[in-house]
Amino acid sequence: MQGLLRGLVYGGLIITVLMTATAWGMWLERKLAARMQSRIGPNVVGKFGLLQPVADLMKLLQKEEIYPIGADRLLFDLAPFLVTTFAIATAAVVPFSADAVGADLDVGILWVLALGGLMVIPVWMAGWASNNKFALIGGMRAVAQSISYGVPLVLTSLVAVVFTGTMSLSGMVKFQIAHGWLALWPPGPGVIAFLLFYMALLAESNRIPFDIPEAESELVAGITTEYTGMKFGLLYVGEYVHTMVGSAIAAVIFLGGWDGPFHIASGLHWMVIKTVALFASVYWVRWSLLRFRSDQLMRLCWVYLVPLSVGLVIFAALWRHFVLS
Amino acid sequence: MAVIDESGQAYDHPLYTTLLHVPGLSVAVASLDQLLTWGAKNALYIFPMATSCCGIEFMATAAARVDIDRIGSIVRATPRQADVMVIAGTITVKMAPKVKRLWDQMPEPKWAIAMGSCAISGDFYRDLYPTVPGIDTILPVDVYVPGCPPDPTALMHGMLRLQEKIAAKQAGTWRAPEVRPETEKMHGPAVRRIDDPERDPAISAEQSRQAGLHSFDAPEGELDWRGAEPVPVQAAVDFNTLLAERFGIEDFPADNAPIVPRDRHLELAQTLKAMDYSLLIYAVATHYPKPEGDTFEVAYGLRNPSMGGKLAQWRVILQSGESIASLASVFAAADWQEREQYDLVGVAFDNHPDLRRIMLPEDWQGHPLRRDYAADTACRPWR
Amino acid sequence: MNARHPGPTTDRYRLEQMDADADLMVLNFGPQHPSTHGVFRIKLILDGEVVVRAIPYAGYLHRGVEKLLEKLTFAQGVPIVDKNDYVSPMTNEQALVMAFEKLLKIEVPRRARWMRTIFAELQRVASHMLWLGTFALDMGGALGGGSGVFIYTFRERDYILDLFEMVTGGRFHYNTHTIGGNRHDIPAGWDREVFKVLDLIESRLPEYEAMSSNNAIFVARTKGVGVIDKDLALGLGLTGPILRASGVPFDLRRDAPYHAYDELKVNVATATAGDCQARAQVRVAELRESIRLVRDGLAGLPAGGINGGKPIKMPQQFKAMAGQAYVGIDTPRGELGTFVVAGGGDKGTAPYRCKIRAPSLHALSALPWILPGHTVSDVVVILGSLDPIMGEVDR
Ligand code: SF4
Repeated sequence: MQGLLRGLVYGGLIITVLMTATAWGMWLERKLAARMQSRIGPNVVGKFGLLQPVADLMKLLQKEEIYPIGADRLLFDLAPFLVTTFAIATAAVVPFSADAVGADLDVGILWVLALGGLMVIPVWMAGWASNNKFALIGGMRAVAQSISYGVPLVLTSLVAVVFTGTMSLSGMVKFQIAHGWLALWPPGPGVIAFLLFYMALLAESNRIPFDIPEAESELVAGITTEYTGMKFGLLYVGEYVHTMVGSAIAAVIFLGGWDGPFHIASGLHWMVIKTVALFASVYWVRWSLLRFRSDQLMRLCWVYLVPLSVGLVIFAALWRHFVLS
Repeated sequence: MAVIDESGQAYDHPLYTTLLHVPGLSVAVASLDQLLTWGAKNALYIFPMATSCCGIEFMATAAARVDIDRIGSIVRATPRQADVMVIAGTITVKMAPKVKRLWDQMPEPKWAIAMGSCAISGDFYRDLYPTVPGIDTILPVDVYVPGCPPDPTALMHGMLRLQEKIAAKQAGTWRAPEVRPETEKMHGPAVRRIDDPERDPAISAEQSRQAGLHSFDAPEGELDWRGAEPVPVQAAVDFNTLLAERFGIEDFPADNAPIVPRDRHLELAQTLKAMDYSLLIYAVATHYPKPEGDTFEVAYGLRNPSMGGKLAQWRVILQSGESIASLASVFAAADWQEREQYDLVGVAFDNHPDLRRIMLPEDWQGHPLRRDYAADTACRPWR
Repeated sequence: MNARHPGPTTDRYRLEQMDADADLMVLNFGPQHPSTHGVFRIKLILDGEVVVRAIPYAGYLHRGVEKLLEKLTFAQGVPIVDKNDYVSPMTNEQALVMAFEKLLKIEVPRRARWMRTIFAELQRVASHMLWLGTFALDMGGALGGGSGVFIYTFRERDYILDLFEMVTGGRFHYNTHTIGGNRHDIPAGWDREVFKVLDLIESRLPEYEAMSSNNAIFVARTKGVGVIDKDLALGLGLTGPILRASGVPFDLRRDAPYHAYDELKVNVATATAGDCQARAQVRVAELRESIRLVRDGLAGLPAGGINGGKPIKMPQQFKAMAGQAYVGIDTPRGELGTFVVAGGGDKGTAPYRCKIRAPSLHALSALPWILPGHTVSDVVVILGSLDPIMGEVDR
């Protein structure tokens, strides 16, 4: 009973905080992009355009819902909800601080990876159910990309698991508090693993230079081409939530979670700062790079990233065996 | 409850439907309505129906100097996620069904901005056969932004006016302007505007029907121009000397190109190609209506890029009913050039691999660049 | 036949012989698509994501300009052609008035010729700027790095439009050329503004190159993509940067000088690869060359009248004898020409037939030849590298 109550409270809290954070994360992105392009960005709706996400939401709520002819209605409806649900569910195991964690699973990292892998199913559903060729191609690309980049993602997480000897996310943070952040220590491989993880993360959440499933200039709007109103909103937000949660996980696994630099004033705020910084850097990259072609993307993954991450796992095992024991 | 849109059609409004079923919420719904209107007016996503010059100014509006993102408007490439269609540029009868269809694909509530004279009235193309005289003969326009092209700031102003209009409609203070600014001086379009009470409902029905049709594509032919063997020539000679010596042409008018007999025209092209006149510059047919039958004059121009772009120009005269040999087997460029002349002037080319219309819709009647073709020929239901 | 370009169709993919259950998909690309640079449709037959056949359809912007020119007098035609190649209106006007001048045998004063050179080259800077931005946009998407380049280049382009506005009063469509000269003289102090803008653009160019043409992803996306070899380029009548990127050093400005080009000496940029990267390199090199030409042109601008010494107060009436004339000039997209036939007699006040030779039309006709074998992502890159403007394709 107590567990259920705790779950409800934490669940509600996480969803609320995460969605709010994501909404203003989108605002942050728009402002950031605008400044990068010597524009101003939203500045009319509310002070500094801060109410822009609210206006967007209000607008999306009242849009007509359209089902394209020949669409698979069930899948078409289900996909956006699943995208957002999976993205949020991942957050359940993220330790935001020593005790602010929804469910401190022993196999937390497994949960994260499993849900991340599942994400591709609703994306493909959306692409398939829309009965639109652009969406279909987008869906196919998403599947190919997600399966490929899942491999380095899992392998680099394995590096962290081998180093820390635990699969629990808070266990990883505690290890890092004791031994130093994984991204910085051991010097070299740690940071490479972090960058690889981060790159795979970019690919999983479909951000430039890995955004070929959405590819505005080629596929109109990729899998979301036929979606209107709030369902589009959910698909759209789902990706941002995914990026946000992914940043949080990267912060936990490699950047010491809630631990401050030199253990200064450790706590929730460090986690927030790290997450937002990573989240912003995703968009920094997004607004400055061009896009790869799909086959180049696959080559990058299978020819460079996968061998590199295998090497990292081996290195981690050796380090664990000879240095840590 | 369904909501009624401007054109009188009902559409689903998921939030309303849910809320109105909760008893005692009508007050909340009223203020919610205000909130929704505020949202709608501050997050106008744009679908750019950018066809021509005005489209470039539309892009400039999205760029740094004006930055349409400031008022929360972003550009979406799919009509499904847009609220405003900005029609920026000339709409032709070939494009009109597509515009109508994209408009139908946009979810309610939606608005339209006609940007530039072309979208408003057809600009100076108004009385020409392929142009739709104003987009409001096809779909209801909310804001007109005049100019050719309007300055980016003018479009921004138009967006702000649209916001005012949305707010005023919600508050019930909106009144449609009484006199259409242009009806006093200019004759109205042949197809009545969409808000004209005298508009024939059959026209709307036909427009919707055609918008739903898939384009009809004529089967295309095949082109293989590298196969043809050029006629070998010995030495580079002057174009006029060549014509005089090998083709027996004596008349070289000062203001005009020499005339080559119809049956030797292909041979001339091959000879010139062997002499490095490898760029086909133009192929133009001119129509001369005559009582005893129409004649055509087809002019060709080739350039020699290795000799400072020297031009070789000649003409072929076609009596009524005659056709001319296509140069598509010698120059790949002749494919489209001759198709264009076939389409617009109606000259027949022999052995052309792919003689279809290129500019006009496949089912078009007549050839507009003939001298006796009326420039303002109608094309129902679009103009 | 040539191995690299098997032709618009290959035996394996003859449509009529297509096996009913072959896994080919038809994708209609356009006419309203974010990357078709206007209203243009390509029907792509896809095998997975690979194009096996591409069938272009033009004409969605056919506005009947040539018919309209027949209805108007010679002098009235100038503002009409502004709207053809709407990214480079100055050169449109020049191509038209030069053909009319040739037909009517009218001399242009020296100062006007120099001014036309300066306008044409400034316009080339603006046009190539816009091309660079939209090309990056094709590659980087509206929601990515491409839009950064796009917005920067648009900002620079706006400065040039401001310069034109100072001279002509029009920001976009100018109507500044008349038959026999120019309508507006350069205002005092204009050259200082021009130098300022050019310095600014020149100082920022390396940044844009770092974001686009020197960027590793840009190179990966363009190198070896959409190769047009010399033979095909000549056969298709391609001109301008596309032809020069295929290894043919042909430039009307140098080889058949008009305006003031005989005195200014143009260095022609060429590349041999013929792929999208080569086309991009040639255009960027041209951008630099144009900046130099504007500088030199302004420095050497002769004094004198711009319209045979007379200011234009009344609309002029011209009468032409029967005949024909063709003048082609080198615009940012290639040889833009005007072919005009005069009827003579009482029909002599208007062109009897007027045809605009549009370089973009030829560029687009290359698509069926070069698209097969590329993926959908490459389609937008190749299309962007051809820099078509639908206004002049369809007219
Ligand atoms: S209104 Fe003028 S600028 Fe706009 S599309 Fe028409 S001709 Fe071009």
